[in-house]
Amino acid sequence: MLTPVRALWALTRGARATYARAFAALFASALLLYAVPLVPRAVLDGVLTRDPAPSASVDTTLRLLGGRAFVADHLWVAALAMLGGTVAAGAFTFLCGRWSAQASEGIVRRLRERVYDHLQRLPCRFFDGAETGDLLQRCTSDTETVRLFFANQAVEIGRAVFMAAVAVPVMLAVDPRMAAVALVGMPVIAVYSVLFFLRIRKSFEAADEAEGDLTTVTQEALTGVRVVRAFARQDHEISRFATRNGAYRDADYRVYALMARFWSLSDLVTFGQQVLVVGAGIAWMLRGELAVGAFFYFLTAVHLLLVPLRQLGRIVADFGKATVAIGRLDAILAEAPEPAPLRPRPVPSRGGAIAVEGVTFAYGAGPPALIDVTLTIPPRSTVAIVGPSGAGKSTLVALLLRLYDPTAGAVRLDGVDLRELDTRALRRRIGVVLQQPFLYAKPVAENLRLARPTATEAEVEQAAVAADIHGALLRLPQGYDTLVGDRGLTLSGGQRQRLALARALLQRPDVLILDDALSAVDTRTERTILAHLAERRGRQTTLVIGHRPSTLALADRVIVLDGGRLVEAGTAADLRRAGGAWAELCGDAAPAGAAR
Amino acid sequence: MTPDHDDDDPRPRRFDPQLWRRLLVHVRPYRHLVLGLGVSGLGVACIDTALPLVTARLIDAASAGSGWGLLGTLGALYAGLLLVLATLAWGFIAMAGRLATGVGHDLRRQAFAALMAQSAAFFDHRPVGWLVSRITQDCNKICGLLPWLCLDLAWGTSLLTLIAAAMCWLDVRLAAVVFAIVPPLLAIGWLFQQWMLDSARAIRRANAKITSAFNEAIGGLRTTRALAREDENLAEFSALTDEMFGASMRNALQAAGYLPVVMSLGSLGAGLALWRGGVEVGHGLSLGVLVAFVQYTALFAQPIQDMARQLAQLQAAQAAAERVQSLLDAVPAVRSPARPAAPPADRVTHLAFDDVHFGYSDEAPVLRGCSFEVHQGETIALVGPTGGGKSTIVGLLARSHDVQRGAVRVDGVDVRELDLPWLQSRFGVVLQAPHLFSGTIADNIRYGRLDATDAEVAAAAARVCAAPFVEALPDGYATQVGEGGGRLSTGQRQLVSMARAVLADPSVLILDEATSSIDERTERAIQAGLEELLVGRMAVVIAHRLATIRNADRILVVDGGRIVEAGDHAALMARRGAYWRMVAADRLDA
Repeated sequence: MLTPVRALWALTRGARATYARAFAALFASALLLYAVPLVPRAVLDGVLTRDPAPSASVDTTLRLLGGRAFVADHLWVAALAMLGGTVAAGAFTFLCGRWSAQASEGIVRRLRERVYDHLQRLPCRFFDGAETGDLLQRCTSDTETVRLFFANQAVEIGRAVFMAAVAVPVMLAVDPRMAAVALVGMPVIAVYSVLFFLRIRKSFEAADEAEGDLTTVTQEALTGVRVVRAFARQDHEISRFATRNGAYRDADYRVYALMARFWSLSDLVTFGQQVLVVGAGIAWMLRGELAVGAFFYFLTAVHLLLVPLRQLGRIVADFGKATVAIGRLDAILAEAPEPAPLRPRPVPSRGGAIAVEGVTFAYGAGPPALIDVTLTIPPRSTVAIVGPSGAGKSTLVALLLRLYDPTAGAVRLDGVDLRELDTRALRRRIGVVLQQPFLYAKPVAENLRLARPTATEAEVEQAAVAADIHGALLRLPQGYDTLVGDRGLTLSGGQRQRLALARALLQRPDVLILDDALSAVDTRTERTILAHLAERRGRQTTLVIGHRPSTLALADRVIVLDGGRLVEAGTAADLRRAGGAWAELCGDAAPAGAAR
Repeated sequence: MTPDHDDDDPRPRRFDPQLWRRLLVHVRPYRHLVLGLGVSGLGVACIDTALPLVTARLIDAASAGSGWGLLGTLGALYAGLLLVLATLAWGFIAMAGRLATGVGHDLRRQAFAALMAQSAAFFDHRPVGWLVSRITQDCNKICGLLPWLCLDLAWGTSLLTLIAAAMCWLDVRLAAVVFAIVPPLLAIGWLFQQWMLDSARAIRRANAKITSAFNEAIGGLRTTRALAREDENLAEFSALTDEMFGASMRNALQAAGYLPVVMSLGSLGAGLALWRGGVEVGHGLSLGVLVAFVQYTALFAQPIQDMARQLAQLQAAQAAAERVQSLLDAVPAVRSPARPAAPPADRVTHLAFDDVHFGYSDEAPVLRGCSFEVHQGETIALVGPTGGGKSTIVGLLARSHDVQRGAVRVDGVDVRELDLPWLQSRFGVVLQAPHLFSGTIADNIRYGRLDATDAEVAAAAARVCAAPFVEALPDGYATQVGEGGGRLSTGQRQLVSMARAVLADPSVLILDEATSSIDERTERAIQAGLEELLVGRMAVVIAHRLATIRNADRILVVDGGRIVEAGDHAALMARRGAYWRMVAADRLDA
């Protein structure tokens, strides 16, 4: 991991030339902004009155405009010069905005894509220890914070620096004594602004946290609204909400109160600076030591410099946020992706024989989920894996997909250790229906085709028929083109499982894994699906995990896991005769009437 | 392109004063703050107008060389005005804070209470995330806009009026010349705000897509890997970042162009003042007045920009206002009667469905004449194909919806005549995908009865066989379950939610596929535990696994919205009807 500032600098690679152009334009516009008020100043002091102490800068300005006499006769020339100067300054401001946007948006686009791609390649272990909400926030609001830094804060800091850099020499040239008076308050404002925002950062964070709490409580009450209603706990939830709502209001108000203090104090210093300029200016004018035009120039120029300086505090505070955000993003980017063999062996295609050899596995530092499991699954056979919750069934599936690597032992496909294969090529050979299948916010047909983009319409329908979802899809208003997700079709658990099954079948895998994949499907539908699956037996190795004996009846062989250990294996009939765990699961061991 | 049938961020429509007037109700308790903001705006405008006048008098006095006396007075006045200005700035920001946070607080409270009063149907078609955004983002948008709208409109209109008056007082002819820049400033301010409104909306839409893409990448992690779809996903994501880049550039260019155009117009005004005023200086116009004019032209641009921005924000916030108002207006489909009937007893002993007809929409009836009774101490099971109406029957019992014909009666009283919270708390419901709240396991069980002791919580867990798994956890009952109970398996969540229902001591226990993810061994143990509990209570059980319900007192076979068979396991098996066929298919008796 890099330090935040170096990480931010590293991100600008490829955009530095564009930034350089943006800053050049910024400098040009700062120059012009200070040059324009020199025109009315010269007119006031050189044309409308005669400066008691003639100034070289007035003469220069008038000479550039065509000479004192010419300007006196043609005052519109001065007006035109002001307009021209401002338009030119505006053009440079625009260019600065354009180039800095190009640079910053480009930087952030690359950053987003990098984070997205990296997330896709991080090992599953990383996600086990991470909160989804936190990750999502890093991907979205943290990138936005970084974007704001590159788009606004970097430019604003540049503006404050350039404005000061131009203001000082120009003011000195117009009148050194007035320049000293006009600049005396500037460091005070800049330092005050920065110190203030650094100090109140905690209050901003407190308000953000209070809002986060409120959102969490709201989200929970609404997600669990059926539970709230079932227990008639509406008042309880409303009072929980009220506490957070009040806390958020107070924390948010605290920020307003601090801002009120900041802006009024900063106004006082700012205005004090202006009073100083007016007072000193008028006094020197009365003594005949300052011309009215020069006085006017300082009134304008002081204002030009005050605006960016007052913003400095907020910018510095935001810069703090940007360093935190890039730190959090960099923490993701610094994680190592899934391991891949340097020279992967081609995935063998010999029917899908699976061998698990002495595999022990634990999630993180937890207790082992699998302990010294050894089993072999012959190619093209159908095997049921059963056992109580927490027995390690789904863990075994995850190891087969190489979502994790075993702590000890090895998993082999057709004799090759999975760690020697190209992971993605391996996964393409395995079709899996997970317990809680995920569907993308895409039309149904596209969701199915994800498994095999080249599948014809007929093949897609065939797979849907096998998963007994074809009829239900046809009844939808837009059929296979119906969008899945919040904005489209809300699917029941059973429908999700059936779609995921159709997707896996369409894939034509060497190994098909059904991880409790029909748990939410009713018996009648299940029967239809099982009949279709029975027809496909022998085409691929099939692993079925489930609770219902009907689902498991499909299997040639049964593997019983309990507490992470293999306790029984054999054909269903053998195990039933043996009268062990499997027999009990089938209900043989439960005498009728024992349940009640 | 996805169909935008429920667009969160529609293109702003025509201004709807009716809507805003209705929302103003929420501002009424804070009207003194609105007044205060208006007065502050006026006060700031007065000072903004006065300062150049004071400067002008000072310059003129100084040019005349006779101003030492005046300098003291006017200097003090100047400093005094600035002090007032700083105080006003403090005052209006503090007032804005009170107004924004107060109105936001009240709006959120009412919107949340309105949601809590809604019946189940309301939540069927509205995703939780959407509703949360209404309460957080939309309320923030409305209340964040309000104070600055008041302030900027008061300040802007007074400042423009006062400057106009001051300039006319100083020199009518010069004022007329300078005013020439006001109409183009107004037009340009409005035009740019409209453009930026549009591109900002494009950015938000692109941003929403990027957020859901990240969400899919994280939520669909295992599926993406199983399908080895990483490259395709990245390509799709790149298209989204391109869209974002385009929209952001459009917005940035508009913003970058806006200020220079406004500045140039301001400079045009200052130039005009210098030119026309300079010509008049020889003919009675003082230098001080000329400087004042140039300063005033610089002051014009700001209020016009601010007002254009606030009005555009108002326009943009209208969609948010509509959505929040619609939440507040939504009438719950199921409500407590104004004068609820007194229930015969606290403990319910009889349930009846009397020729119930019901459908979620008129075209698709789900129940078509459904009648049955449940007596004290009975366990009844509902079986039948998906979509047959089993879960609907269970939902109607606790009045999640109202029947269209017929009646549901509890102890002989129509449920529509009973107090709704009273009715709902008679039922203990355990669902297939139970929701747990983040917090500990004990917190979640205690949700059934908030004042239950730790011992009672543990007893409830033991009753439903949840105790062994809970006690095996390192933190036991103090184990955090995570968001939505995500750190527990589905089976464990079912066990905890069953303990929660049992702790509530309901008259009727409803188990809707409540043990589908629990292995059969544990399930049988649970049933044994419940047997004792169910003495004197009623239970309604839905299960796919027919073994789960074969010991029920009565089994009702629900198909096509009717009860096609009823009786106990033996009777139904003997009948060789629908139930027998289902059992045969389940191969339990094969």
